[in-house]
Amino acid sequence: MVKFRRLSNSRWWNNRKYWTIILIFSILLIVRFSKTFIFRDVYYFITKPFWPGEYQQEILRKSANQELNIKLSQLERDNLRLRQLLDLQNFSEANKLNSSVISRNTGSWWKKIILNKGSQNGVSTGDAVIGPGGLIGIVENTSMLTSSVQLLTAPSSKVGVWNQRANLHGLLIGVGTKTPKLFFYSKDVDIKVGDYILSSPASTILPPNIPIGIIQSIDNESKPNTVATVQLTAQPEAIDWVQIFRMRF
Amino acid sequence: MKFDLNQYLSLISFLIIPLVIFWNPSWLSLMGHQAYWPIFWLLPWALIHGPFKSMLLGFLLGFILDSFNADMYTQIPGLMICGFWFGKIESSNKFNNNPIHFGLTAGIGSLICGVIYFCQIVLKLFLGNSPLWVFSYGIQNIFSQVFLTSLLAPVFCKWLYLFFIKEYKLKM
Repeated sequence: MVKFRRLSNSRWWNNRKYWTIILIFSILLIVRFSKTFIFRDVYYFITKPFWPGEYQQEILRKSANQELNIKLSQLERDNLRLRQLLDLQNFSEANKLNSSVISRNTGSWWKKIILNKGSQNGVSTGDAVIGPGGLIGIVENTSMLTSSVQLLTAPSSKVGVWNQRANLHGLLIGVGTKTPKLFFYSKDVDIKVGDYILSSPASTILPPNIPIGIIQSIDNESKPNTVATVQLTAQPEAIDWVQIFRMRF
Repeated sequence: MKFDLNQYLSLISFLIIPLVIFWNPSWLSLMGHQAYWPIFWLLPWALIHGPFKSMLLGFLLGFILDSFNADMYTQIPGLMICGFWFGKIESSNKFNNNPIHFGLTAGIGSLICGVIYFCQIVLKLFLGNSPLWVFSYGIQNIFSQVFLTSLLAPVFCKWLYLFFIKEYKLKM
């Protein structure tokens, strides 16, 4: 009896045609179930050289900045008008004076900086000093050409501040470290970590609504008042230029 | 008459102290803390001129330095005690002019001045019923100041000591 042995190349998996069909079918399945991600990725690489470049991005950014500046100046004007109506303290651009830091003593008992503008330029004791980020201190004394600024971190610094969200007033007390303490006048206050601290709009010493810092932590155990630690938004140890707000009433 | 700079070295270096304090070089500070600069001048001066003159100079130095800071605390007592003590250790022959002695003496002097200044701050806060939040910062500040002063004293004090000796010999 003769036995017929099937030739190996006669099996289906050795047939190239079947594999081609399987491959095409698999591709179709992937395309179907992938929701065209392959096409999108291919499209990504093909169109990449023709995308809007950095230049266009810059134009957009500039336009957005201009728009924000217009809105800001409009809001400032509104604010000034309303403050005039309410007979509150006013601060205009004319009262701002740019000054550079000529001496910095931020790491000893005396937390001070010295500015290159003095009484000759109209700077007087009590003027607010603002750096990039917000308020950094108050002019302590002036000479003819220079003025000494006591920083908010100085142990003897005390400034009245305001939390806009909770509409709460408090006292910011310097303790020597970079994070002054915020002392609220009552125990149960609605403040949260991350809240902004601004200069009080009712203040007669400081210009209104100047950013000062962000609440870093809250000590609920302290009695009888709530005390919070504030991270200042302006860093005097890294600032070279500041603005002096000359107090004119 | 020829002007001899060597005769006025102590006066010139004395006038430089406030400028260095204003300058506050960041590369000579530790975590923003500064060395106590007046000690670098007072120590070598006291080693040459004795306790009583140095106490008087400590008063003068403190008086000038207090005028920079418009607060109610004073550096005068610390500097007067240091001036007296620095002069005393020299007159009792307990001081060898080696770097370790300069470093240790300046460090202790800085500690005395720092503690006296800090006590005034604490006392004011205590009397005003204010919380003593400044306490940990004060301790940190004192120790940083002592460390930096001790570290730099062998260089600055020795250097000034040699200048002052030269000036002293010229005047004698």
